[in-house]
Amino acid sequence: MIFQIALKNFLRQGMRSFLNVVVTALSMVAVVFNLSLYNGFQDQAVRNMVATDVAGGHYRHSGFDLLSPMEWEDQTFQTPGVLTSLPATDKTEVLVLQGQIFPNRRLFPVQLRGLEMGQSLLDLPFQKLEEWTKPVEDIIPIIIGKQMAGKSHLHIGDTVVLRWRDRFGAVDALDARVVDVVPLINPRIDEGVVWMRLDHLRQLTHREGEVSWVAVKQFQGEVGNTEYVPPNELLKDILNLIEQDRKYAIIIWVILIFLAGISVFNTQYLNIFKRQREIGTLMAFGMAPSRIVRLFTVEGSLAAFSAVGVALVLGSIIFAWFQSVGLDVSHLAESQIPIRENIFLKIDPIEVAVSLLVISAIMIVVAWAPVRKISRVEATQALRGRAIT
Amino acid sequence: MLVIDHVSKIYRVGGQDFTALHDISLEVEEGAFMSFVGPSGSGKTTIINLMGGLDQPTSGEILFKGRSLAKMDRNELAAYRRENVGFIFQSYNLLPVYTVYENVLFPLLLNDEKESAVREKVRALVDQVGLSPEINKKPTELSGGQCQRVAIARALVKDPALVLADEPTANLDAENSYHILELMLKLNRDFKAAFIFCTHDEKVTKYVRREVRLEDGFVEWDKTKQPEGHFS
Repeated sequence: MIFQIALKNFLRQGMRSFLNVVVTALSMVAVVFNLSLYNGFQDQAVRNMVATDVAGGHYRHSGFDLLSPMEWEDQTFQTPGVLTSLPATDKTEVLVLQGQIFPNRRLFPVQLRGLEMGQSLLDLPFQKLEEWTKPVEDIIPIIIGKQMAGKSHLHIGDTVVLRWRDRFGAVDALDARVVDVVPLINPRIDEGVVWMRLDHLRQLTHREGEVSWVAVKQFQGEVGNTEYVPPNELLKDILNLIEQDRKYAIIIWVILIFLAGISVFNTQYLNIFKRQREIGTLMAFGMAPSRIVRLFTVEGSLAAFSAVGVALVLGSIIFAWFQSVGLDVSHLAESQIPIRENIFLKIDPIEVAVSLLVISAIMIVVAWAPVRKISRVEATQALRGRAIT
Repeated sequence: MLVIDHVSKIYRVGGQDFTALHDISLEVEEGAFMSFVGPSGSGKTTIINLMGGLDQPTSGEILFKGRSLAKMDRNELAAYRRENVGFIFQSYNLLPVYTVYENVLFPLLLNDEKESAVREKVRALVDQVGLSPEINKKPTELSGGQCQRVAIARALVKDPALVLADEPTANLDAENSYHILELMLKLNRDFKAAFIFCTHDEKVTKYVRREVRLEDGFVEWDKTKQPEGHFS
């Protein structure tokens, strides 16, 4: 009986119920959207790094650290046979050394990255290097990313002096030609990086068969003197960064839920304030205060459950639209976040369910909390509209 | 049926005690049609509230069919009102989101009656108060007189022993007041429910068979009389 009356009251309250439901539903959508955006952000950043650099892990010289360029030339190794024999789809050999270029006669320290040609493990648009099959004679073909091109003011076809040091410590230099400027979705392999064919870099530095690491599709077991660094380790800094962002996402999550709760609390409070005479009338009819509390709580709960339904519909529409356009975060590439394209939502059903459950539970509590006052209300005062001030 | 035995009611207003009723004793018989009259502040509404179990006396007791209201807890008082008392308010107090039919039906739902079982009874009562054409309208679409008719039907629908009406004609014009009074008198005969008014409307006093005048919380006089009103 209480439910039927509450349902009728809820449905007949028109705009008041509608606004209450819409505000709560929008809060739910915002909460889930916020979480899903962070999930999408994390997913995309990790996917980009895996696709362009990390793959299924690296076999490296023990102690190799990309952040210690002075040690790179001492931490190369001959590619072990077991890795050389892997198909091109399962491994990519990479040699990293220090170098300098002199665009516009300014010195520009760079990371020379020699990439094995014919590989298909990493998703790198280096066709122009693939096509340059001649050995280095008087010019070195190089590719740079768009970000690097912007910083160094280099364009396709430009020639720039490239200087390096070979394995015997001799410094040499030659003209390098920018054969392509490519969009790289991972800024970590763009800014300050000059890409060249692995065979060219080996030829120039007299490091035949040497690599800094071998990216593999999956762990191949212990291999010689190398150390296997799993993806999680290689992604550690970005995962930490995202984890930190996730804490902010949770703070926003809590704030949004708090706002939604306050909204429903306020509506309920106003509701009982405006409906005092009705409460008094219900008491005069012989409705026990506890039943009136239940009635108003059920009304509030109906708003919460309706909001879940509306949120599902509204959310589906908003999410579907968002997935078709994405969010442009290219500016983040400046801060080394490995995303240069639009990001999209990644909806975790468990997170959605937990969010909706938590919000619904909070809505029911805040729907109940203000109406507890009713149990202490005097009927005569309520009938005069003076019971709740 | 209802015995008011040495009842006093003291309110605390602004730190001061205010005695609304002084040692009132009287009896209300079944099927009564009576009014409490007197100026504002004389204690009319207070005594109606006490009889309806909406408030408790400071001293003395009110007995309904031998049972003291003072000894009932809140739930028992709610049950007393639900089963025995119908209220008619000056400002009607209809539930604004409900239709005429639903407003009249509401007290029966509170008594856990199935709508299908009482539908005809509600319709008949709405018809009796002359509102069949308006049965699906909401209170905002009705005139004051029509709203009060709905309130009367709502008070009577559960066949109460007691109907308490607080200034039922105060918001009505003379013509509507007479219509309402005639209607209540007719229903008093049909339903055998005791109607107790508190009013300072002389029109009401013309219809009642007993009149109790209150002055500053005291009973000034209590007289049984021949009604002067028109009877249909």
